[in-house]
Amino acid sequence: MKLSHKKKEHNDFPTVWRWEITVISALCLLFSALLAVSFGPIHLSFTSIVKTLLGIENSISTQDRTVLLYVRVPRVLLAALVGSALATSGAVYQSVFRNPLADPYLLGAAAGAGLGATIAFTSSTHNLTGILPIFAFAGATIAVLASFFISGRFFADPSSLVLSGIAVGSFATAIQTYLQQRHTAILRPVYSWILGELTAATWSIVAWSTFYISISFLVLRTISKRLDALMLSDEEAFSLGVNPRKLRIIAVVSATLLTATAVAASGLIGFVGIVVPHLVRGITHSSTNRALPSIALVGASFLVIADLGARTLVSPAELPIGVITAFVGAPFFLYVLRRKRMGHNSD
Amino acid sequence: MLGLTVVKSGRYILNEIDISIQDGSWTCLVGPNGAGKTTFLKVLLGVEPYLGSATDSGIQIYKNQDRNIAYVPQDPHIPANMRVYEYVLLGRARIDGWGVENRKMKERVLETLEIMGIFGMQDQQMDRLSGGEVQRAVIARALVQQPDLILLDEPTSALDLHNQIGVLNCIESLKTSGVTIISTMHDITLAAMYANQIAVMKNGRVLMHGETAPVIESDELKNAFDNRIDVFKLEGGSSIVMAIKEPQ
Repeated sequence: MKLSHKKKEHNDFPTVWRWEITVISALCLLFSALLAVSFGPIHLSFTSIVKTLLGIENSISTQDRTVLLYVRVPRVLLAALVGSALATSGAVYQSVFRNPLADPYLLGAAAGAGLGATIAFTSSTHNLTGILPIFAFAGATIAVLASFFISGRFFADPSSLVLSGIAVGSFATAIQTYLQQRHTAILRPVYSWILGELTAATWSIVAWSTFYISISFLVLRTISKRLDALMLSDEEAFSLGVNPRKLRIIAVVSATLLTATAVAASGLIGFVGIVVPHLVRGITHSSTNRALPSIALVGASFLVIADLGARTLVSPAELPIGVITAFVGAPFFLYVLRRKRMGHNSD
Repeated sequence: MLGLTVVKSGRYILNEIDISIQDGSWTCLVGPNGAGKTTFLKVLLGVEPYLGSATDSGIQIYKNQDRNIAYVPQDPHIPANMRVYEYVLLGRARIDGWGVENRKMKERVLETLEIMGIFGMQDQQMDRLSGGEVQRAVIARALVQQPDLILLDEPTSALDLHNQIGVLNCIESLKTSGVTIISTMHDITLAAMYANQIAVMKNGRVLMHGETAPVIESDELKNAFDNRIDVFKLEGGSSIVMAIKEPQ
């Protein structure tokens, strides 16, 4: 069987993914990070930042150096980590659940983390820096595990997992609301945490976030290409040599670790997990999971720029970062829906 | 297969089936709804647990992924936003591994798209195609897998007559390369035109299995449909199977 001669002349050999896209995404992140580190109440030039970070010379004052190394850089790094984690988690969930609207909080992780944070706030009003992330992480993880167990003998079936997640999320939200009603003094700090914040970024938080996110990325790296099989039915995936149930569990656990880490580090930041995968896949016209590295890099850039906006738009005050991501994400989402509808109508 | 049985919620979906499928043949499973045809395909694929014995080259087939089997479901799940090329290329993962993409694979995919009559659509999104085009793309994905066995569940159900003939002709061409084909079809006339062997199923049992001509003319086929069908033989030797409309 050979292509007809006429067709071969005009033959274009499509490709699923180009490595140049990943390189461009990485350069975008580098530029975004430099921009974010440079701007703020104290403006630092690109060259002085690079020289200071590379240890070439001390061209900035001690105060500026402190701001750079102990405030800006950890904050930008944390924004990049959280953005990449949420974007990747969203992309993986969309493949696993065969649903382009799936987001990282699908299996009750957001509600579980919110409940964990509320419990932390009710248990102590002093120095929550250490315990808040632990409680939020535990809450998110327990909620997702509960979703798995509640889905019962249909363990790892996509639709039953989603329904279980809804049930678990509703239950966690109910308990959270009850606790807030009983302890009204915590309403404001809990709400502030729910909106998402990176103001408390420290090298310690960056370190443990990097650890957990790296583990997830390593696992996802080994399975990312096979994740495409999960976009088909389980029978079709089996015929392609994949164990869909086992793969789904590994993918969901890894994605949930990403979500739980992001939530523990920064609270609940919405829209990143939906907007960024759609943005990357829309620009590159590729829906396979080979886009995951670019999705992670663009997610990082997105949140770095969003955080820059959060701390500079109403400076010296700060906007919650969740407001920025919702402000950008919601209209983008409507635009995507409208384009899809117009595309179907024109057919 | 010997004594092949599948029980779900106390109901026998397949009941003591004894059947042997010839390599390189096209066997078509026919029968009324609920006869167990799709479940039988899933057993052959290796995803459905069973009682009794079902072997391929002497090895039990349940969860056996050493066999290269292509599966075309009746209602395939079409990934949102996936291009036709990306979708068909998934079939090569079985042979070349996941994430591999080289010129030879691309040529194979494009050749298969041409054979299936959808060359030129490689950059279109799967969810924008018509029902017939989607079915052709799904079969193309199965063909690029170069399977030893291809299982098709109602491959023509969503197609107009022109597309039905086109798709069945493409599937028939696989016989020359020694691929074993097993399909289910509601249209028994088309099944008789293309398949070498027919198996008549009803209530989880195989009532009759053998060469197409004798099975089509058998009483077992009529019994499977409660004698509400009739078979007409044309001059060229082909048979037409039609439903009998009872007078009001």
